[in-house]
Amino acid sequence: MIAPTLTKDEADAHSVFTALMWALGHPGCEQRLPTGGLRAFEAIGAALIDLETSFYTPDGALAHALARTGARLAPIDAAHYQFYPELTVHDLDPLHAAPVGSYAYPDESASLLIGCRLGSGLNLTLRGPGIQGSSTLRIAGLPEGFWPLRKNAIRYPLGWDMWLIDGDRIVGLPRTTVIEGY
Amino acid sequence: MKLKQLAHARQDYSYGFLDEFAKRELRRRMLKAIALPGYQVPYASRELPIARGWGTGGLQVTLSLAGPRDTIKVIDQGADDSVNAANLRRFIARMTGVETTDDTLRATIIQSRHRIPEERLREGQVLVLQVPDPEPLRHVQPDIAKARAMHADADYAQVWLGLYEQLVRFGRFMNGASYPVIVHNRYLMSPSPIPRWDTPDLHQAAHLTLLSAGREKRLYAVPPYTDVRPVEFEDVFFAVEDQRGRICMLSSARNKFMDELPQPDGSSRFRISDTGYVAKLLKPDQAERGATYYDDDGRFYIEGFIKNNTAV
Repeated sequence: MIAPTLTKDEADAHSVFTALMWALGHPGCEQRLPTGGLRAFEAIGAALIDLETSFYTPDGALAHALARTGARLAPIDAAHYQFYPELTVHDLDPLHAAPVGSYAYPDESASLLIGCRLGSGLNLTLRGPGIQGSSTLRIAGLPEGFWPLRKNAIRYPLGWDMWLIDGDRIVGLPRTTVIEGY
Repeated sequence: MKLKQLAHARQDYSYGFLDEFAKRELRRRMLKAIALPGYQVPYASRELPIARGWGTGGLQVTLSLAGPRDTIKVIDQGADDSVNAANLRRFIARMTGVETTDDTLRATIIQSRHRIPEERLREGQVLVLQVPDPEPLRHVQPDIAKARAMHADADYAQVWLGLYEQLVRFGRFMNGASYPVIVHNRYLMSPSPIPRWDTPDLHQAAHLTLLSAGREKRLYAVPPYTDVRPVEFEDVFFAVEDQRGRICMLSSARNKFMDELPQPDGSSRFRISDTGYVAKLLKPDQAERGATYYDDDGRFYIEGFIKNNTAV
């Protein structure tokens, strides 16, 4: 028997997953995805979601691509994987209702994937697990009021986890990360 | 265009044995586990060609984590060459084509049963621990649903009471392996049956730790640089196993975690349990030796973390 080899799809899913994992393990530390732009969101969808999961996205073309994974399109207050290639101020109000899990099952919460611009704009200070002392993150392209909303949504262990995506660059912010400077 | 060009060549198994559907599920759970340090995430735990209870939890995590560029080390109680470790290593290598090694520093993924290597792990390494019993509350609350409610409320009073009872009855903490820890100031966690000697290694560690129980279908994680504190009182402290006076019969080294080998005359001889580390001590010019968690005098590398140095 020869060792099974990775197919192209499996190789993509594997490198997307390792980027997501290390992004979450070292919040604020940039990782690379195998593709960029809207394709990055599609690749993350292919690597993470399937018919066991629900998703939400305001982007029509992306919704069509993600539906091919077999995942169910669900409203914001129920969807566990939410994809926002561009987060607008109109998305903020409904985002208050995104699932944060329960005390018995805090893992039944939303994961948000949000497009942004890394390296310019707000200078945030991050603290928490995965960060030695503190680190900084420069970020732009998110609507005003997003960071207070995140702070209000998180009552640890309740809360949602997020990844920020700029091209093929990705940064993770789990609910444990405390953010200052907005 | 022909079908043969579109489809990949036929293979006896999927890459990493598990199909993509199983791997996606595991990967989703692992991400949630990293976001919730110490919280036990339920997962499906697929059938594998080894029986549950023989490392299937760790194996599933390793298989869904490993890629062709990884280098894998598998240990069982510190030994690279025990039957269980050798079998798991061979299976992982066959199913993923990864390189295998005995060298802690070279490995990117280290799957372990009941030990953490003596050499300090670094950023970017993943330690996968096999867990027989993930529930640290089991001995005070056998009902799994009630234990979950206790975790939800962070109600760990009975664990402290248990510690106090041990002190009253025996004059010291009696937990040996899987000494309970509090992770990120929130969840009580079983660090898997690693000796107390290894428990402080998880505190503010540079590496990522994933713990997985295949039979119990739960996995949990300790992200890098996370507080992991053994439960202890303000005036009675956690202590590691006393290794003083023990000298390794192979390498003459001291102050590492030793296996005790009883002799026919009733005495004991000792041998460092981490076989990869012993190999490096015996052939110092063949491989680079990393900094260890405990120095040659038995001092832990984070000063002041282990408050009780008069170990029991």
